[in-house]
Amino acid sequence: MRIFNRIVVVLLLAGIVALGVTMLFYLFDVSDYHLEDLSRTLGLNGLYDGANNFVQRAESRSLDVLDIVVLALVALLGLVLLILEFKPPSPRRVRMHQGTYVTRRAVEDEVNSAVEGSHEVLQSNVKVKAQRRTGARVNVTASVRPGENAQSVQADVQDRVQQRLDRVGIPIGNLSVQVRESDPRQTKTRVK
Amino acid sequence: MADDLQMARAVQDAALAIEGVASLGTGRWAEAATYGAGEKVTGVVISHDEVRVHIVANYPPPEPLQALAERVRERVASRVGGRPAMVVVEDIEVVRDENL
Repeated sequence: MRIFNRIVVVLLLAGIVALGVTMLFYLFDVSDYHLEDLSRTLGLNGLYDGANNFVQRAESRSLDVLDIVVLALVALLGLVLLILEFKPPSPRRVRMHQGTYVTRRAVEDEVNSAVEGSHEVLQSNVKVKAQRRTGARVNVTASVRPGENAQSVQADVQDRVQQRLDRVGIPIGNLSVQVRESDPRQTKTRVK
Repeated sequence: MADDLQMARAVQDAALAIEGVASLGTGRWAEAATYGAGEKVTGVVISHDEVRVHIVANYPPPEPLQALAERVRERVASRVGGRPAMVVVEDIEVVRDENL
């Protein structure tokens, strides 16, 4: 979102620079340009009339439903962008202590090793998110054969991940394990 | 610039001397290094407000990663002249058994 906002600001600033340069030409009557011709040259007269008309209709409360909906959406979009801009970016690395971090990829590798150590799991998908506080938020999706006992696999995977991360010393904030039945022909491992 | 390189080398040596540190990391998206004239020290990033060390830990680690990283941080902090030190465990590498 910050990139989107940056693009908008760059375009806005480029527009202001272009307008400023144009104004300088008109201001000093360079090459027969006159400031009074500016709005006509840029074709702003129609825009002024349209804006004037719109404001008059808004004052007399005769706007269409569509206009009101569009205005509300623009206001809502602006509010969302503002909130997102104020929200601090999520950290890239998992914090262990003050000044010590571990990369998300290292945590992912450890969790993957723990999950795929389970005989029932044919494939795993691990997502690690760094939290602002200590520890990582880990989401695991384990693929098993149809007919496996999902609850026992879930408990087993949870134990394995917890034990492995405890042994290695990676703090974990939140661990969520989902078990999904998959066709073994479409998973990374067919047989264990 | 020369001071930064000297400091980066001292930090690199200090980090590698700790048991449990296999090597120094190189960064993922951007190279983690300190650059000088015709030379660079990989795994240590010296900036005005902090010193960052990227380490690759041995597996199994001799102590929990939290403790290992803290030990590296303490060792590095004593060599960086008061700048805050930050340690990033970039990877965990399985130790090869030389008897195999």
